[in-house]
Amino acid sequence: MQQKDQVQDEEIETTLFEIITQVGTARSLYIEATQAARAGDVQKAKEMIAQGAAAFSEGHSIHSGLIRKVYSEGHEPVFQNDGRIMLLTHAEDQLMSAEAFGILAEEFVALYELLGSKGVLS
Amino acid sequence: MKKIVLLCAAGMSTSLLVTKMQAAADKSGFACEIRAYGVAQAPTVIPEADVVLLGPQVKYTLAKFQKEYADKKIAAIDMRVYGMVDGEKALEQARTIMEC
Repeated sequence: MQQKDQVQDEEIETTLFEIITQVGTARSLYIEATQAARAGDVQKAKEMIAQGAAAFSEGHSIHSGLIRKVYSEGHEPVFQNDGRIMLLTHAEDQLMSAEAFGILAEEFVALYELLGSKGVLS
Repeated sequence: MKKIVLLCAAGMSTSLLVTKMQAAADKSGFACEIRAYGVAQAPTVIPEADVVLLGPQVKYTLAKFQKEYADKKIAAIDMRVYGMVDGEKALEQARTIMEC
């Protein structure tokens, strides 16, 4: 995994977009996983959840790098403008949303798997 | 004028990409109107668009939208392009799809 410790100030927007992209991808995969499970493809659903978890983990590590950056001693201010603050808020909002979707997707897939085994789906 | 629509969860992160895409379009003299919307606005904005690009966070809607709007050109934005907020590459993708 790429080391994200060195977050450059001028790259802050790209950093925030990377978070949004990774956790957004995770969120989308989690939703697709529940849809696959509903359609009866539990195997595919579980693969999508694993892919989603990997993307989420990547986004989360970029976010952790950012936290280390802003709490490091003597760092230059990172979020001097409103646009960056809004983008950060959005990135964190997406991150939390993806996390919740991941938990729910696992439960839904397990539920659909159970229903499938009892012949309720089909 | 070609209308390019970008959809994401709230139309927020995508709006920055739109700014960069519009700048790339102006620079290359390509006349187009690029707008970002949240996925909830899809039913009103997709019918008006020439091409629709989806952000990674709403990629799961791709199959559904392609089915519902079979005559529309709809695609997901490349994850790396989105992550890098690469306006030129995103515009290039939109133009390539339109020419198909």
